[in-house]
Amino acid sequence: MTKNECYELGRITKTHGIKGEVNIWLDVDFPDEYEDLESVFVDIKGELVPYFVQKILIRPNQTIVQFEDVDTFEKAEALLGASLYLPLDVLPDLEKDQFYYHEIVGFQVVDKKLGVLGTVNTVYSMQVQDLVSMDYQSKEVLIPVSDSIVLSADKAQKILNVDLPDGLIDVYLSE
Amino acid sequence: MARSLKKGPYIDYRLDNKVVAMNESGKKSVIKTWSRRSMISPDFVGHTFAVHNGNKFIPVYVTENMVGHKLGEFAPTRNFRGHIAKKDKGKR
Repeated sequence: MTKNECYELGRITKTHGIKGEVNIWLDVDFPDEYEDLESVFVDIKGELVPYFVQKILIRPNQTIVQFEDVDTFEKAEALLGASLYLPLDVLPDLEKDQFYYHEIVGFQVVDKKLGVLGTVNTVYSMQVQDLVSMDYQSKEVLIPVSDSIVLSADKAQKILNVDLPDGLIDVYLSE
Repeated sequence: MARSLKKGPYIDYRLDNKVVAMNESGKKSVIKTWSRRSMISPDFVGHTFAVHNGNKFIPVYVTENMVGHKLGEFAPTRNFRGHIAKKDKGKR
């Protein structure tokens, strides 16, 4: 299993107690969906190593996990800072007009008024509002992710339909 | 110490004038601003501001739950490069 076939679920942030439990940070919209997590890939020195989950406790601000065979503080400490991955195929299916951010990378951005613009480079996760980064005339243009701006994604044709506010492109072209 | 209530919220007058003019004309184009300290008033809702973070402009589409916060809160000046290429996050 390689990282290209996985998505990043979160990170091990600190140890919890002395029996090998760890705190993990789940970077997901709905952590409760992972209550029945059975296994996870842990990134150890660039390699994905499978770990089986013995116990998981999801609380509002923290998630505590006990992995199989990690039963001492020292073993848990060795995992600190490691990223957690899950295969892409375990992602829950979304409704027709919804999409995951990793799916739209490389999509062509088509504006309602301006037509074809550029391609999606990446999506930045911000605290309040996420931003789609688009390559346009060799410049990076940022588009706020909002229902009134990012309208829909056509996964078959790899098109991201947007309705950019007037002057957004000019802000970046004039820089 | 908090700002005196008698003064009301601080909003850069040039920025406020631009928003008022746009609301009157019904236009909604991006407003470039360096005034990170300006408070978001209810008039700002639905407008997009390009807020300078010291390096570049970050577009901020103002929604109702941003009212009362400062524009600068939504254009971070540090740790901006956080790639989330493959995470279970999406538009819902």
